[in-house]
Amino acid sequence: MKLTVTISSALLAVLCAAGVWGAEHPGKSEIEKNGYKGPATCEECHPGTTKGFIDSVHWKHASKVDNVSNLDPKKEYGMKNRIYTMCNGNDIVNNLKEIPKNAEGKSKFTGCNTCHPGNHVSDVGSTGPEAENAIDCLVCHSTDYDFRQRKPFKNEKGQVVMGQDRSTKAALAIAKPTVKNCMVCHEAAGGGVLVKRGFSFTKETDAHAAKGMVCVDCHKAKNHKIPTGFDPNNWANDGVRVACTDCHGEKPHKGLSAAYNNHTSKIACQTCHIPRTGGAVAKDFTVWEKGGDGFYEPTTLKQEANATAPVYAWYNKTVRNEQHFIGPNGSRKDGKSKIYPFKIYMGKAFYDKKTGNLLSMDFAPPMSNGNARAGVESAARTLGMKNPADIAKNAVPGWQTIYFGSNHLVTKSKALNCINCHGVNGVINFKDLGYSDKEIKKLTNPEIYFNQLIEKQKEDW
Amino acid sequence: MKKSVAVMIVFALVALSVLSFSKVASAEEIKMVGVITKIDIAGKDAKTATATLKDNKTEKLVEITINDDLTLDKFKDHRIVVGDEIRCKYEVIDGKNVSKLFRKTAGC
Ligand code: HEC
Ligand code: HEC
Ligand code: HEC
Ligand code: HEC
Ligand code: HEC
Ligand code: HEC
Ligand code: HEC
Ligand code: HEC
Repeated sequence: MKLTVTISSALLAVLCAAGVWGAEHPGKSEIEKNGYKGPATCEECHPGTTKGFIDSVHWKHASKVDNVSNLDPKKEYGMKNRIYTMCNGNDIVNNLKEIPKNAEGKSKFTGCNTCHPGNHVSDVGSTGPEAENAIDCLVCHSTDYDFRQRKPFKNEKGQVVMGQDRSTKAALAIAKPTVKNCMVCHEAAGGGVLVKRGFSFTKETDAHAAKGMVCVDCHKAKNHKIPTGFDPNNWANDGVRVACTDCHGEKPHKGLSAAYNNHTSKIACQTCHIPRTGGAVAKDFTVWEKGGDGFYEPTTLKQEANATAPVYAWYNKTVRNEQHFIGPNGSRKDGKSKIYPFKIYMGKAFYDKKTGNLLSMDFAPPMSNGNARAGVESAARTLGMKNPADIAKNAVPGWQTIYFGSNHLVTKSKALNCINCHGVNGVINFKDLGYSDKEIKKLTNPEIYFNQLIEKQKEDW
Repeated sequence: MKKSVAVMIVFALVALSVLSFSKVASAEEIKMVGVITKIDIAGKDAKTATATLKDNKTEKLVEITINDDLTLDKFKDHRIVVGDEIRCKYEVIDGKNVSKLFRKTAGC
């Protein structure tokens, strides 16, 4: 308990220090004098940074993955090459390009790798001096970035280039990444603002944001290896992890609330502290809807942050990965699992008639004319599959269920209390979670929480 | 006399109901999708801005007032610019169309 307090006050002290410092990056006057010439400028004082960055998930969009079934342990997986139904393509089949003209004669640039801090000529996973020089350091480190520059365009050689703000002005505003820097890409992951997870990080939606914390207070990185968790659907990782207990320990509750500490060996912190989820609940990639601008988008059922109730399941941090299902492994009995909250998402897309495998889609054709099968054909061709036209013609629509981890939108005041779970009609389905009828009778009897809540009632009044 | 009082009352009632009706109507959220044709924001410290959207359905120009920090910030650093298509919810407050939600539609 003491430890926790010390840690959090130390952290806050660091936060304050960073805040004071943030305004004045020690390299500022040097950059003012010589101008910003890309990563080489930073390398003068931060040698080795670019090489470290090129070896990170943010550059490679992939890593080896050891906790997911049906993968080759020697290969790397991530946004670069995965095929799933939140976005039914990947960086390869949906490489940034100008899509064919729509009925109104308009075209536009689109591709998954717009969310990559390179310039596209040096693309996802590229290496060498040219790649190192292409890194957009400022998209994460400048508080004065002009996003008009961060747009795709064609250069004189006809290559599609992702623009960057490389102005000295932007480089004079260097700081640790702010929430906004990270949200440049994270806010709109999954096909639009808040679509993937309802990931809003504001004082209204997250208790840590309300305390003034930012992404990198938890996602602290060395050498640009940014720690992540065990979301069943976010596989690529830099080999470092972050968890609630890193800062709070296993027993963070004091006084009357200490009863919650007895639960932390079986119930993850997130289960009580993230009682809602958000973002899209279903998408249909086989039917595209025409928008006002004459382009088509996959039909999507959207939800706001905190708009949907999660599903609770045992999770041992290993993932069942199948053609129609991506979600947690775990059971009450394996000694390793805890109950976690998930957002369940279902996506409809095309499956290969011969193999039953999920197919991917190049979005360029359907985006311009709504023809989803043409997208399947183009993707199959890009991936070198045999008879792309036949594959597309015979492809069978089907649904895939995906469990998304729920790790932000933390609350204290709306955290689940005894009665939310043990009360009649509580949020936990004890039967589905493997409890016997006899156990359930006990777990849903007021005997279990009555005294506790009476004490709490006295305290509150 | 009697009649005119009754008429007055009826009149007053109608007036009241019209008033309260319009109050309900103005508190209602209106939804639209449209492309930004103009953004007016006064400098880095602005606490409010207006954006003009061309409604995709009616082709009419609608002026929206934006007060939330997150969206204002996106105007300031140009993450949202003229030409972007926006999904917008607004309420009419004191004759102004005040934004409740202002998001780019862009997809996957
Ligand atoms: C003239 C030297 C110099 C140049 C050029 C320079 N820096 Fe720095 N930078 C420093 C010093 C000194 C520090 C403080 C000590 C440290 O953390 O290494 C620092 C700190 C930082 C920090 C904060 C580290 C932390 O943990 O708080 C970041 C981020 C950073 N620099 C990024 C950059 C970027 C990006 C560039 C290129 C645009 C750059 N720097 C160019 C000297 C420089
Ligand atoms: C240029 C776009 C972009 C920016 C800016 C960005 N990210 Fe990411 N981030 C991504 C993409 C894309 C992925 C998924 C890559 C994959 O899994 O293949 C990702 C993955 C992650 C992951 C999980 C994988 C890992 O590296 O552990 C974490 C955690 C993360 N980002 C945190 C952050 C934080 C914190 C910031 C701000 C400092 C940030 N990101 C800024 C695009 C971005
Ligand atoms: C607006 C930025 C952005 C765009 C555009 C984008 N992504 Fe992502 N994607 C992310 C981020 C950020 C993550 C990781 C964080 C998360 O999952 O919340 C991610 C994660 C993923 C993952 C999981 C990767 C892993 O490590 O397991 C897949 C697969 C994926 N994206 C596919 C796509 C596809 C396909 C497209 C294009 C059709 C696409 N994404 C476009 C930002 C983006
Ligand atoms: C995807 C976002 C992202 C990009 C792009 C990025 N950084 Fe960072 N950088 C981070 C994060 C996150 C940290 C760690 C902050 C923390 O732990 O407080 C960091 C920390 C740093 C530091 C502090 C020391 C260290 O290495 O941890 C320096 C210096 C730095 N970055 C320079 C650069 C340079 C130079 C580039 C371009 C070559 C760059 N960064 C590109 C996210 C990014
Ligand atoms: C209070 C700490 C904290 C803050 C602040 C925070 N995160 Fe996280 N984040 C976590 C933890 C803990 C996990 C993983 C938990 C697990 O899987 O067990 C996580 C997981 C993630 C993941 C993996 C996918 C997922 O959702 O599980 C991404 C991406 C990510 N965070 C990005 C961000 C970004 C971007 C921000 C800022 C907008 C941010 N985080 C702010 C603690 C934090
Ligand atoms: C990097 C350290 C760190 C991580 C990781 C972290 N927290 Fe926190 N948390 C803090 C700090 C610091 C505070 C604020 C303490 C204070 O000011 O009282 C806090 C506050 C809280 C609060 C109380 C908020 C309030 O309104 O009083 C809750 C609940 C909480 N955290 C839960 C979580 C959960 C759940 C996770 C994992 C998803 C998590 N934390 C991850 C550092 C962390
Ligand atoms: C069984 C539900 C449950 C679990 C599991 C749980 N909490 Fe809590 N927690 C609560 C409730 C409810 C409160 C609010 C108690 C109150 O208002 O007195 C709370 C309060 C807190 C606080 C604020 C404490 C304070 O003194 O203000 C923190 C920090 C916290 N929890 C962190 C965590 C972390 C970290 C974990 C995982 C190790 C966790 N909790 C697991 C239900 C839970
Ligand atoms: C997130 C839902 C949740 C919340 C909130 C919650 N519990 Fe529980 N509780 C459970 C689950 C699940 C178990 C069974 C754990 C196991 O398998 O050991 C349990 C077990 C218990 C047990 C042990 C029962 C036995 O086996 O003898 C007691 C006592 C208990 N809870 C009391 C409380 C009290 C008191 C509170 C409020 C302070 C509370 N619980 C809040 C879900 C919850």
